Amino acid sequence: MKHLRQYVRKPQRILLLAVLSLMLPPLCGSGLSCHAQSNDSVAWSRGKVITNTRLLGVGGVNVLDTYLSPEKYSGTELRYISQTVRGSEHRKWRRLIVHQGMASFSRNRADNANEMAGSYDFCYGFLRRWTLFGDRLTVRAGGMADANIGFLYNTRNGNNPAQARLSFDISPVAMAAYKFTVAGKPFTLNYEVSVPLCGLMFSPNYGQSYYEIFSKGNYDHNAVPTTFIATPSLRNTLSLDFNIAKTTLRLGYMGDYRQAKVNNLKYHSYSHLFVIGMTRTFRLTRLQP
Amino acid sequence: MRKITHALLLLAMLLSVAVSFPSCVDEEEMSDTPRGNFEALWKIVNERYCFFDYKRQAYGLDWDEVHDRYSCQIDDRMNDEQLFEVLGNMLGELRDGHVNMYASFNSARYWRWHEDYPKNFSDSLERRYLATDYRIAGALRYRRLDDNVGYIRCSSFDAAIGDGNLDDVLMYLAPCNALVIDIRNNGGGQLTMAERLAARFINNETLVGYMQHKTGTGHSDFSSMREQRLKPSGRLRWQKKVFVLTNRSVYSAANEFVKYMKCAPQCIVVGDKTGGGAGMPFSSELPNGWGVRFSACPMYNRDRQSTEFGIEPDYNVQISDADMALGIDTIIEFARMLARQ
Repeated sequence: MKHLRQYVRKPQRILLLAVLSLMLPPLCGSGLSCHAQSNDSVAWSRGKVITNTRLLGVGGVNVLDTYLSPEKYSGTELRYISQTVRGSEHRKWRRLIVHQGMASFSRNRADNANEMAGSYDFCYGFLRRWTLFGDRLTVRAGGMADANIGFLYNTRNGNNPAQARLSFDISPVAMAAYKFTVAGKPFTLNYEVSVPLCGLMFSPNYGQSYYEIFSKGNYDHNAVPTTFIATPSLRNTLSLDFNIAKTTLRLGYMGDYRQAKVNNLKYHSYSHLFVIGMTRTFRLTRLQP
Repeated sequence: MRKITHALLLLAMLLSVAVSFPSCVDEEEMSDTPRGNFEALWKIVNERYCFFDYKRQAYGLDWDEVHDRYSCQIDDRMNDEQLFEVLGNMLGELRDGHVNMYASFNSARYWRWHEDYPKNFSDSLERRYLATDYRIAGALRYRRLDDNVGYIRCSSFDAAIGDGNLDDVLMYLAPCNALVIDIRNNGGGQLTMAERLAARFINNETLVGYMQHKTGTGHSDFSSMREQRLKPSGRLRWQKKVFVLTNRSVYSAANEFVKYMKCAPQCIVVGDKTGGGAGMPFSSELPNGWGVRFSACPMYNRDRQSTEFGIEPDYNVQISDADMALGIDTIIEFARMLARQ
């Protein structure tokens, strides 16, 4: 706290504490007890800095969609994530751009039916940056617009074989990165969390058929305004950056817990992924003659 | 800057609250035991089936009473065959051909809507009328009968019927004085195929019925009735008399086709009452993996009356034993007689 007072003004201190308090519950919920920290591997100098992280995730998924089945399906998910943070070094605000694509294949409890899912997710947001403890801890917080399109297909259903996914959310997002060394080697521990606060999503009504929606144009509460109460979801990533030769590798865990309860239908998709990838930082420098 | 900081502070606090009290969106999972599967099946139907109110009025269906009556037949020591029989019998209480349960060794069904009545159709007679030189266009078989009546046999709406198919069929039969569309034994298929065929027999956008869906788990939780409007095809359309032949095995999308054709100006329905099936079926499943099908979206005729238990023809005609012995299809001949008038 002494360090905090030294480096950060009072209103920002309060904000920082709030951001850190946001990060603690999901960490505790995940059964993890490490310190939540921030990322950014950029040395300070004037100019534009772009940090791009590309990750490939693989792991387990548990899917429930009561429009298709009251049974939960579990299986394997594959995900690609590209995250870019860009902005001027001397400014505190940075832009965040995230692309995610996922595909999953899951089976029911009786192991005699399949569900296939796929989605694309695009996020665009802004983050404010604070540095603490002599740049060792970087904390970022802000908001992003999150657009998602996808599907869930049950291979044996008749007139309700699939669910279309289309949603738009405003999501507060927070990140922390903590730099440290072990045996003279630099490491960065990262934690990121975002929670959809409010938005809009597509859903058929409880017993409404897609025939009514798309063949007849009979809409019935199909564009549903949502809040974090109707869609209590959370996406968080805990990862470690380390260098091999001149490459910065990232290993970690991503937990993506998407839920919705709209039009008396229940939906959840719990993804637990091991992620691996690379982080690269570019600096654009203007040369003046 | 301070305002932004405060806004972010508020946002973060809201998030903290949200994340601190996480709520799981989950569904109770029944155990994979005879008792668990029984309760799961009863619950699926209880929450999603669409004809409880209608069938309570029609024959006194009480789903709670059904639960009590069948629950005492469940024993966790029973094998799959025994469980299947009890659950199948319970579903039979719904008297609905769209309600089924599928296991790898059997399919539970309620077929009394056609099994309890004369068939009024014969493969042998069909062969006699179609002969061997009939044409095939998509799911349609057709020919000109010797009294210059066009005959189309449509035994299913499962397979696609393209607009090109219909153009060619109607063009070939255009010289005929009347058209007979024989949909006997057509158990349904795609509603869009039924609409596509019916759209060749109307000239104006026509109100043909209503449709609604469930909006919640209650037996009476329904959306408002939405109009079903049939738009005329923009291609070749039939302007002369058309006869639709029906029997008790006309069901589901074929029943809808009859409902649409009842609104066509030149159409006369001949044969037996249709089997019904006015609920668009949805699928679900039990913990043991058995599939379940049930009526989910009720459909009504243009007078807002349910056609779940069938549609009466304009002329109720049965195939007589005497005609059958002579190789005559009474229903086709009756339609031909009307055509000649």
